[in-house]
Amino acid sequence: MNLSIYSDDKTWLHSLDPRTKLFGTTIVFIVCLCFNHPLHTGAIALCMFALVLSAGAQKAIWKLRYIILMLFLFSAMLWPFFTSGKTIVWTWKSLKLTRESILYGLAMGFRLSTFVITGLILMATTKNEEITDGLIKMKIPYPLAFAFSTALRLVPTFVKAGATIVQAQVSRGLDLESRNIISRFGKFIPLAVPMFISAIRYTNLLAMALESRGFSPDMQRTFFYEPTMTKRDWIILYFLAALLFISLYMRIILNMGVVMPGRI
Amino acid sequence: MDIVVSIKSLVFTYQNAKEPSIRGINGEIGDGEFLMIMGHGGAGKSTLCCAMNGIVPRFYNGEYSGNVFIAGKQTTQYNPSDMAKRVGLVLQDFEAQLFSTNVELEIAFGLENIGLPSVEINRRIDRYLDLIGLNGMRKVDIYTLSGGQKQRLAIGSVIAMEPNVVVMDEPTTDLDPVGRQGVLSLAGLLRDGKRTLVMVDNEPDAAVGADKLWLMKDGEMTAQGVPGDYLKDEKLLVSCGVMPLQTISLFRRMNWQGDPLTVEAALELIQKNNLVQYRDRIIWTDSNVFSGNNFIIEAKDLGYRYPGASQDVLKDINFGIKRGEFVAILGQNGSGKTTLAKHFNRLLKPTSGELLVNGKQTTQYRQNELARLIGYVFQNPDNQIFASTVKEEVGFGLKVLGENAKVIEKNVAEALAVTGLEGYENMSPFVLSKGVRQRVAVASVLSVKPEAIILDEPTTGLDYQHQRGSLDMLKRLNKKGHTVVIITHSMWIAEEYADRCIVMKDGEIISDGKTRAVFADEDRLVRASLVPSPIVRLSNRLGTKAMNVDDMVKELSDESIHLQ
Repeated sequence: MNLSIYSDDKTWLHSLDPRTKLFGTTIVFIVCLCFNHPLHTGAIALCMFALVLSAGAQKAIWKLRYIILMLFLFSAMLWPFFTSGKTIVWTWKSLKLTRESILYGLAMGFRLSTFVITGLILMATTKNEEITDGLIKMKIPYPLAFAFSTALRLVPTFVKAGATIVQAQVSRGLDLESRNIISRFGKFIPLAVPMFISAIRYTNLLAMALESRGFSPDMQRTFFYEPTMTKRDWIILYFLAALLFISLYMRIILNMGVVMPGRI
Repeated sequence: MDIVVSIKSLVFTYQNAKEPSIRGINGEIGDGEFLMIMGHGGAGKSTLCCAMNGIVPRFYNGEYSGNVFIAGKQTTQYNPSDMAKRVGLVLQDFEAQLFSTNVELEIAFGLENIGLPSVEINRRIDRYLDLIGLNGMRKVDIYTLSGGQKQRLAIGSVIAMEPNVVVMDEPTTDLDPVGRQGVLSLAGLLRDGKRTLVMVDNEPDAAVGADKLWLMKDGEMTAQGVPGDYLKDEKLLVSCGVMPLQTISLFRRMNWQGDPLTVEAALELIQKNNLVQYRDRIIWTDSNVFSGNNFIIEAKDLGYRYPGASQDVLKDINFGIKRGEFVAILGQNGSGKTTLAKHFNRLLKPTSGELLVNGKQTTQYRQNELARLIGYVFQNPDNQIFASTVKEEVGFGLKVLGENAKVIEKNVAEALAVTGLEGYENMSPFVLSKGVRQRVAVASVLSVKPEAIILDEPTTGLDYQHQRGSLDMLKRLNKKGHTVVIITHSMWIAEEYADRCIVMKDGEIISDGKTRAVFADEDRLVRASLVPSPIVRLSNRLGTKAMNVDDMVKELSDESIHLQ
């Protein structure tokens, strides 16, 4: 099963400079943090969803649909119990739900799924190498940039290795279906040790392969895909900067899009 | 001839190791030569390869003495990126060597590191994709390549840096026969291009085309010279853990003159000296001898599709495996062998049709009931080894299945005895060699006493002696009544040990029958990227029944008695 997120396509998002996309992702994250009203975070989520369609990233979203759904449901259901507001709608013993806390929960659900979706759009439209190159061009030291993109690259590899290890142990009778938490903890060792060892072995080989291709952290390297900022990149960056400014203004000065003042 | 690599009294001891891995190695490699290095597991081949490009001692700590000169300069004086321009290293595990998004970026990575301008990178991508036979695949996602293509890409990404020497450490071990052939013919192309090439491989047929052969044993160099001289020497090869050439073994045992290194050479000699009475080619019918209903594992119209995939990986699979059979499942990388085998103990559930174990659908069993019936040994023992002693590791299955201490003690002892692991009980499995770890993995499945045992590639990474050892052990188990199913790329193993072969291609069974009948149809095997071993090809040409050297000698000797 192919676990990689990148989709080889030629949409406008694919052709943007990786720096634009990295900045863009950061700005969307900050804008998300500006509001805690579900209408506002919901609107942002909707915009990102439109962007998914425009970037052809549906496949990536589909692969992680359960995670996105879980994040949304858990935050929408749990947050209301951990925050308090003024308008009480329901009480039972010491538990109480307020209108504000329910809305806040929904807002957090939208926010978290927007984070994941935005990250996925970046990864679905940007090659790992482009992310490295973009980070280097942003004056991030090469070892750091390379470590970051390699970490992203290794996620599917380790997920796959983990799945094999689970299957190998289940074949020997390890029962992962039982519900008992305490007995589950005992089952952790037979999975964790091989995973740890395979990760070490893999990174060791990877390091050897990197060395034999002349990789060293302090070298001057060239770029096969030289990232270049075009007029379109600048327009998008100006637009995003304006969006960021407006959002901050709405939140700080006008106090809009807030159900829980004093909370991010 | 200029000398490119020169090794002088090289000794290396890994940190915390008692004995040196290589000791007193001397040798020279001339410009444009093709050198083959062979030896048993743990003979020091990989360490020697790593010493040639400086990863030993730069990357691995240990005690290093002696010198390795590349183009006149010591490896220890090069920095990594200069070294990469001199010596390129290709490893056995192609998955870990490829880390880019698509094919062209994989080739470009090393070239970016040595600071080439992008115009030159582009030019080299074109040239080397052409050489490795991946032209037109620039933008292809590496994940979608076959094993053979991946390994050729790994080689391409190293040679694109145009190093003086290319070192390949067991590049074909994980490949099917045709993928392996592709890598070997690429090696041939490099040799014709006058590039210095060092290759480690333990199949003797790969050495036939080399200029020089080094044989290693216990960290020392046993022989250095022209391959033809040593490939004739059965005893020497076996003592170094290398399988002798079957054609040579046959000629020695029959007391025939000549040293044929290939099937063609053998046939020529046989014809010239009129050594064998030619007979009519036997027509092996694909008769279905497997009808009946006493099946331990049976597939009915089984189909499987991975979640979210658009195509079936298994289509319309029908077969029944009888109790006590020894079956080999063959086919190229990605043909669906492992996917099929994972249905046997319900690691996967059929998306259409059904899979029955003892006449009952796997989905109707509880997982731990199945674990008692079907044992499954994964390809890599390190996917399951976790315990601090061999005894604990082997007893794990019984423990989680809820057996009492007495039964565990008894079954573990038996499993250790049958796998030849007595004396290892209290050792840590992690310090053992790959071959022994593989046996620990088998023992840990055997201790549960499953009726059938499935092994995915039980011999990869093992040398000849250990391969024989493992298979002889499986044969013994089979004689004791266990059903054995192996997935393998190794043709001689299927020929010599399996009663029956199932050949897969693109998710379908294209051949299923007695091993001899399956291997008689070479055309059909080629469609599944398989090539029989030399002795069977010879046997097919001569019209004999034998599938191994022993039987061939018997069959031909009987005949000569008969003729007299």
